[in-house]
Amino acid sequence: MSLLKVNNLKCHYQTDISTVKAVDGISFEIEEGEILGIVGESGSGKTTVALGIMGLLPENTAITGDIFYREQVISSLPESKMDRFRWKDIAIVFQNGLEVLNPVMKVGVQVTEPMRKHLDISPDKARSKCADLFRTVNLDPKWMDSYPHQLSGGMRQRVLLAMALSCDPKVLILDEVTSALDAFTRKEIRDLLVELQKKNGYTMLMISHDITFVSSVASRVFVMYSGRVVETGPVKDILVSPRHPYTRGLVHSTPDIFVYKDLWGIPGDFPAGDEFKGCPFSPRCTQKIEKCKEAPPDLIPIAGGRNIACHRGGVAGLLEAKNLSYRYRLPDRKYLKAVDNVDLEVGEGEVLAIVGQTGSGKSTLAHILANVMRPESGEVMFMDENVSKCNYGNRLNGVQIVFQDPFSSTSNRFTVLDAIKEPLDINKIGSKEDRLQMVKNALELVHLPGTGNFLSKYCGELSGGQRQRVALARAMVMQPKLLIADEITSALDVSTSANVLRLLKGLQNRRGFAMIYISHDLSMTLKIADRIAVMNHGKIVETGNSHDVMLSPSDEYTKRLVDSRIPV
Amino acid sequence: MANDRNSFVFRLLLTLFVILVINFFLPRMMPGDPFSTTSADEVGEEIIVMTEEQRLYYMNYYGLDRPLHEQFLVYMKNLMTGDLGRSIYYKMPVSDVIILHLPWTMLIVLGSTVISTIFGVFLGTLSAKNRKKGSDRIMMTGMIAFAEIPSFLLGLILLLFFSAYLRLFPLAGAITSFADYSGPAEHTWDILYHAFLPIVTLSLSQLTGVYLLTRNTLITVTTKDYIRTARAKGLGEKTVWTRHALRNALLPVVTRAGFMIGIMMGGVVLVESVFSYPGIGMILRCAVVGRDYPLIQGILLVIAVSILICNLLVDKIYSKLDPRVAI
Ligand code: SF4
Repeated sequence: MSLLKVNNLKCHYQTDISTVKAVDGISFEIEEGEILGIVGESGSGKTTVALGIMGLLPENTAITGDIFYREQVISSLPESKMDRFRWKDIAIVFQNGLEVLNPVMKVGVQVTEPMRKHLDISPDKARSKCADLFRTVNLDPKWMDSYPHQLSGGMRQRVLLAMALSCDPKVLILDEVTSALDAFTRKEIRDLLVELQKKNGYTMLMISHDITFVSSVASRVFVMYSGRVVETGPVKDILVSPRHPYTRGLVHSTPDIFVYKDLWGIPGDFPAGDEFKGCPFSPRCTQKIEKCKEAPPDLIPIAGGRNIACHRGGVAGLLEAKNLSYRYRLPDRKYLKAVDNVDLEVGEGEVLAIVGQTGSGKSTLAHILANVMRPESGEVMFMDENVSKCNYGNRLNGVQIVFQDPFSSTSNRFTVLDAIKEPLDINKIGSKEDRLQMVKNALELVHLPGTGNFLSKYCGELSGGQRQRVALARAMVMQPKLLIADEITSALDVSTSANVLRLLKGLQNRRGFAMIYISHDLSMTLKIADRIAVMNHGKIVETGNSHDVMLSPSDEYTKRLVDSRIPV
Repeated sequence: MANDRNSFVFRLLLTLFVILVINFFLPRMMPGDPFSTTSADEVGEEIIVMTEEQRLYYMNYYGLDRPLHEQFLVYMKNLMTGDLGRSIYYKMPVSDVIILHLPWTMLIVLGSTVISTIFGVFLGTLSAKNRKKGSDRIMMTGMIAFAEIPSFLLGLILLLFFSAYLRLFPLAGAITSFADYSGPAEHTWDILYHAFLPIVTLSLSQLTGVYLLTRNTLITVTTKDYIRTARAKGLGEKTVWTRHALRNALLPVVTRAGFMIGIMMGGVVLVESVFSYPGIGMILRCAVVGRDYPLIQGILLVIAVSILICNLLVDKIYSKLDPRVAI
């Protein structure tokens, strides 16, 4: 039997005008001695869960569902009965704020107060125990006689912790305990918690927006979004391979995990209105389907002790390549294995970088994936269909490739309009007016003017950077689900290439397409990629989260590649 | 710190000086003088009409015929030695007149402050606990409507009903005249008996203010995070309300009570007149009617000084109660 069990808890705040579904059906169990983490942005309902367990929600909250503590239902107890559980069995460490502690009461008194109430001990004993608690949380007992405003944020957080520990609770709820602290204090509090847990075996429910913090302490995590749980599982697995699009966005936008990556949040916001029926993440989701608008997905178990709530079973696969091989015939009649038995997967909305030196075969691979070249063996599946059979390169929402050399894709003799419009013309997409509008939209996306003047310019008149943007617009006009960018910045100077890269990542983030980014420049890829595949002599020698590959390369070749970066 | 103190003392002295100037000139700006009064306040009072000769003699005797600035200098000089002058009407030192009457005023002012604060806090807490319920709304509407009644009118109604009609309380005075008390208990009782209605009147006029302040502060306080913390600690509703909510909500109430004492010292004039209660308020009225300049000055000075003292005390007490205010 678990120590604490929450069963289908719903907390809806009711105001005169609307209902806010702060928590909309969440269930979990915590075993004795376990640390469970709940992660989510502010507004996801995680604090409401904590207050719900403590029975501290405001009166205008409609609460349904049950909360069990050691098989006893505590969710429907009257206040006076609930008071017996509060602090003695379940205590909470609140987020440190200026007014979390009573401003006119000495902190020592506030810590001893619950002891006097619940433990039936003398004032002197309570005071000496308070001093012990202060020492436990690394705070000098002399601070017992000071008022909250005389303490720093970190010290107040320690007082709050000491206060929560005062009655030796069985379950400790920690609500955003580190969010208002500086990095150094944060680390100290974290270490303190870990140490306390080891020594006393507290059962903890740790609530935070900070997935790194939670994962450094908890063993299991729940990811909450808009009042619902979207993914659960062991901490390590969630961090290494997040399955829900939201979790992936959360992990990938965490600077502690992606040390080198530029910070790109998850675009969009919570769904507005309480009448919203579908998956709460759908306004921000890049892979939504019809069903996502109609009903919220249930949390269902998948392998590895994980659960996920998504109609598509989490981040969907977009492109899958199996056993790809390709050989070039050399003048001396020998064959060069440019692509040697490569397997590859790209998920929806994911940015995969393929990194390797010149001649490692990465460009050939890109051409094969984009269906520009046919592999000798193996096949490329895009959305579960064969790329070449279904001709995904020539359809809207398919695969598009942008080449290294903008001069080859945009002929000098073409005007900007013609160059961008060409794929639409060839594939007979849309009417004449539609096509013009699509071209203008595409130009806007790449920050180029859509005026008649610019449209009638010849590509030969453009600068390198502009030309690469036109090439990008030519790909974007087909609204691809997967964009393959093959060394697109290598022909550009540093600042132009940084701009183009920024533009590309911004586009990707906003439009949510997946991308295969091919480059020999490790530093650049680290800034935008979620995952990296390292290629050498036609083989993929290593794949992994970009930070893992970067920080702990396992393959010899990767190590050399990492080391060869010019230190800055 | 020392600098602060100096500037504080300086400001205090300046305030006092301004008050003194106003006290001195204001009464003298009223038409008439102490010796040309023709109106009698109470029916049956003897009206002494002086001849011009007599008037000039008295003017000269009290130094009122000298130029104003000279009079002011003399007044200031005497003040320095603690001499408030002689009352023209009572024919005795102003300080004696004040000492004779000030305790009565203090009694009803302090008494009503204590009583209105206790009841106001009690009712305010009751209201705050029941907010969003009917009882709170009814109480609040009632209290606000009640506060609209001016205090002298309220006093008049109480006087007519309880003293004149029911004959439960005396019509005037602070003690039974020529009483022969058998002991201090009886003496005290007599004093309370006389002070009862004035205190009730003043308390009632203060009640709504205290009530509203308590109620509204409590409602704000109960939304604070530390109240949630106290609840989480399972301390029980009673402790949460008294030790955590009320303790914080009382801060502004205490401040208010302090300021109110000062303000009531001035406002008590009308109520004392209604009950013919011999406090400084009533003699102030007599002094004004009689153009008794020295007495007017003396009383105004006492009132002003008590307001200053009250404000000082409030600051001191507040910094004791609220540790966030550094002294
Ligand atoms: S695919 Fe649908 S169900 Fe899954 S996260 Fe996206 S919107 Fe929600």
